[in-house]
Amino acid sequence: MIAFVTRRLLLGLLTTWLISVLSFAIIQLPPGDFVDAYIAQLASSGSAVSAEEARSLRELYGLGQPFYVQYGKWIARVVVGDFGESMEWRRPVIEVIGDRIWLTLALSFAALIVTWTLALPIGIYSAVRQYSLADYIFTFFGFIGIAVPNFLLALVIMYFAFTLLGASVGGLFSAEMTLAPWGWEKAWDLIKHLPLPAVILALAGTAQLVRIMRANLLDELRKPYVVTARAKGLSEMRTVLKYPVRAALNPFASNLAYQFPQLISGGIIISIVLGLPTVGPLLVKSLVAKDMFLAGTIVLLLGVLTVIGTFISDLVLMWVEPRLRHQLD
Amino acid sequence: MTSRRKFLSSTAVFAAAAISTDALAQAVAGKGQFGASGLVGNLQGPTQSTVIPTSFKEAPQLAELVKAGKLPPVAQRLPAEPMVIKPLESVGKYGGTWRRAFIGPSDGENGNRIMASDKLLFWDFTGSKIVPSVAKSFDISADGRVTTLHLRKGMKWSDGAPFTADDFVFWFEDIYGNKDIVPAPIADMAAGGKAGKVVKVNETTVQFVFENPYFLFPSMIAGDTLIGGGQSVQQSGARSYGAYAPAHYLKQFLPKYSSEAEVSAKAKAAGFDTWVRHLHVKKDWQLNPEIPTLGPWRTTRPINTPTWVMERNPYYYAVDTDGAQLPYIDTIVMTLAENIEVANLRAMAGEYDLQERHMDLAKLPVILENRERGKYDVHLDLAYNGADTTLHVNMDYRADPLIGKLLGTADFRRALSMGIDREQLNETFWLGLATPGSTAPAEAMPENPGPEWRNKWSTLDIAAANKMLDGLGLSKKDSDGYRLRPDNGKRLVIELLAVKAFMDWPKHAEMIAQHWRKIGIYGDVKESERGLAFQRMLSGDHQLFVWTNGGTELLYLYPSWALPTDVSNGAYGVEHAKWYASEGTQGTKPSDPHMVRALELFRSAAGQQEAERHKTAQEIWKIMVDQQFHIGICGQSPALMGVRLASRRLANIPGRTCIAQHCRTPGSAHPESWFYKA
Repeated sequence: MIAFVTRRLLLGLLTTWLISVLSFAIIQLPPGDFVDAYIAQLASSGSAVSAEEARSLRELYGLGQPFYVQYGKWIARVVVGDFGESMEWRRPVIEVIGDRIWLTLALSFAALIVTWTLALPIGIYSAVRQYSLADYIFTFFGFIGIAVPNFLLALVIMYFAFTLLGASVGGLFSAEMTLAPWGWEKAWDLIKHLPLPAVILALAGTAQLVRIMRANLLDELRKPYVVTARAKGLSEMRTVLKYPVRAALNPFASNLAYQFPQLISGGIIISIVLGLPTVGPLLVKSLVAKDMFLAGTIVLLLGVLTVIGTFISDLVLMWVEPRLRHQLD
Repeated sequence: MTSRRKFLSSTAVFAAAAISTDALAQAVAGKGQFGASGLVGNLQGPTQSTVIPTSFKEAPQLAELVKAGKLPPVAQRLPAEPMVIKPLESVGKYGGTWRRAFIGPSDGENGNRIMASDKLLFWDFTGSKIVPSVAKSFDISADGRVTTLHLRKGMKWSDGAPFTADDFVFWFEDIYGNKDIVPAPIADMAAGGKAGKVVKVNETTVQFVFENPYFLFPSMIAGDTLIGGGQSVQQSGARSYGAYAPAHYLKQFLPKYSSEAEVSAKAKAAGFDTWVRHLHVKKDWQLNPEIPTLGPWRTTRPINTPTWVMERNPYYYAVDTDGAQLPYIDTIVMTLAENIEVANLRAMAGEYDLQERHMDLAKLPVILENRERGKYDVHLDLAYNGADTTLHVNMDYRADPLIGKLLGTADFRRALSMGIDREQLNETFWLGLATPGSTAPAEAMPENPGPEWRNKWSTLDIAAANKMLDGLGLSKKDSDGYRLRPDNGKRLVIELLAVKAFMDWPKHAEMIAQHWRKIGIYGDVKESERGLAFQRMLSGDHQLFVWTNGGTELLYLYPSWALPTDVSNGAYGVEHAKWYASEGTQGTKPSDPHMVRALELFRSAAGQQEAERHKTAQEIWKIMVDQQFHIGICGQSPALMGVRLASRRLANIPGRTCIAQHCRTPGSAHPESWFYKA
């Protein structure tokens, strides 16, 4: 058991290192660097960068150096917890991400809670009452939820919120609250703005989860042990919830690995459409601007979260699935 | 289209503002339904008065600070001769928060432009006359070698420290002259290839001295140039230009005034690699709330946070005609819009008080529909540059010798130009609001070569275009009607490199390619990401690049999108630009004698007096339009920063304002003179 955990840990570290090299390399793949992107950006806002300026900027950021030198400098600092300075935001990367990470997590957790509280009961109900009217209705909406891209849903909802309710569009705070210091009023403002993006973020995931839960549970419900339990006169509630549901939950545990990076980067397109101040749009912007240190750090963060997520989901799987544990022993 | 344009009756109003009647008629008073709706107003704005009020007033918050002894009285904060602004409608009252959108830390220009009165000299509201700003006056010696600026006596930085000629010398010697900060000298500070210098005469007099005549220099100072841009734009974003800097504040970050070790330690403690990077942040008004500035407001919450906030500068050097210190508006709050769509939606919901930046012309119908609900007025401001959409021709294309030769042939370029149906493009992409034609600047501009050059080679004439192309040996066509290459018999394909930036240029290019079917040219649109397109252009990898020619209405101040003078822009062949910039020591000489002639004229202009210089510019424009170095489509439109949403609570808002690079839209309309009625 301990050997297994240690091996997974070491492999995780190696993977993380590979991710760091890859992420840095991928960011550098497209031709041009931050200064090119900066020049193009200024040109389109009606301003210009002289050749002298471009040269001094490149020198300033050390962009002329070969890949391995730039990577070496970066990783040496990352190891001691210094993620460098974002070229676009001209602030330490840690602060730029820090500004947004709590809101991002709040939003993602809200979405996750909505997803699970909706998906599990509906999935169980649909499986137990297969081909009932309610199952058809849930299935119908489930397919719509899967088929319609969320950003489209976001646009439609935003349109109605704007035309019917006159609601403030985009963002997690109303205009007058963005400036206010943190306090009850601001928190309440956030709570009022949170449900809409959280529900939109949750919907696609919910539909998918309902289908998975329904299919898994249907497989289990037909197994002999369920029939036996019913034959012995166990209450229906207990029959379903105690054994088959537990077994049907296994795929959720292995799914955990993907949920971790999703917490940070979930629904990038939705966040952009709704104008949410989360990490997703930050990643896209940093890639467009070729802001290497910021983009590198976010990609690295996502990689590390995937590795941690996988590690934890392995442990959880072993905990809920005795068969796996026995294989190891 | 011409029939839809009406002549404006009140043109006489502008005669004083150096704009000809002809020009104004052309500058579009009313166009179809938009003219009738009054969206395109009269060009107007605040002016300067020479009468200095005898007593001064100040904002209530500042009066309280004075009472508490935390601030000197207003008369002591103002210079002896403040700039006196005569507001457009009336003197205003203090108060209010200007809500506005910005789209991230790269959108610094959004604020720079509001701070434009920190420029040494500026343009009046028409954009055609140089007026005093930070400097109260200037003169240039008869030989053109010495430009003298006279500063305002007793003028102060936003922290109350005196602003004097020493701040110019400090910038010249310790910032611009420091190779660690500014590695290479700038062309703006040289005349005839010889570097100039900054000399202090006394506290309020400073001279720029050159070895060769430099009659253009006052215009450079007034223009949006490296030397004249002002502190906000030229000392932000790691730039270190702009002619003056707050010496008393910045000295603490320079090794010269302590030691290399000390400033490096300071930088390390603040989390920066080197003292240079630390300095770049410390002198940036967008990032550092402590930096002393001269503009009407100063940053209190930096641009790299979700809200960029500015508050009034208690030492701002301008008053209204009643002696009330400007600005009227207390605070500017810019909220981060993650994308332009969100910014437009919020603007329509009335969440911004004045917004012209990032507003999308294509959304005009919806913007108009929501006017009552959002409680705003819509103004359309028309630009002065000839073409918002221009096909910039690579005159040095080498990847394919045949294409290179064709692009280098005037008749080929003329035929491409005459094969374009500009009216259709205008209706589709500019809602009929633009003026179709060549790249020449608006007739209102002194450098315009004459109205006959608007349509030269720039109207739809398929028969003439086909005849020209046949004459170039391109008469063979394939079964689809496309012309064939004489060298290998394959279809002749011309590539249009287009970027979706502030207009949807790939769509414009698609329509042009459709028009070209009628002249047998197969146009291939290559859509590209912005940074990548500029990269390709620098390596000369493009044939035609679709972009604006904004800024070229003052050719000498911003020639980048007209002639190969700027080595950071490869639109017309970067080797030619290198040849020009290095005075023939690097790069390659253009093979087209007309291009060489245009560049020679351009170089000679810096040493010419104003009237002669305008004539030279007209000559250059005649060559450029006749030769079609760049093919103009439609221009003089509100497409870039010309759709202005103004809250009905605001007063002193011009009906029409100058939108141009040198006008620093909305800078020349002096936002510090706007106020809230209620």
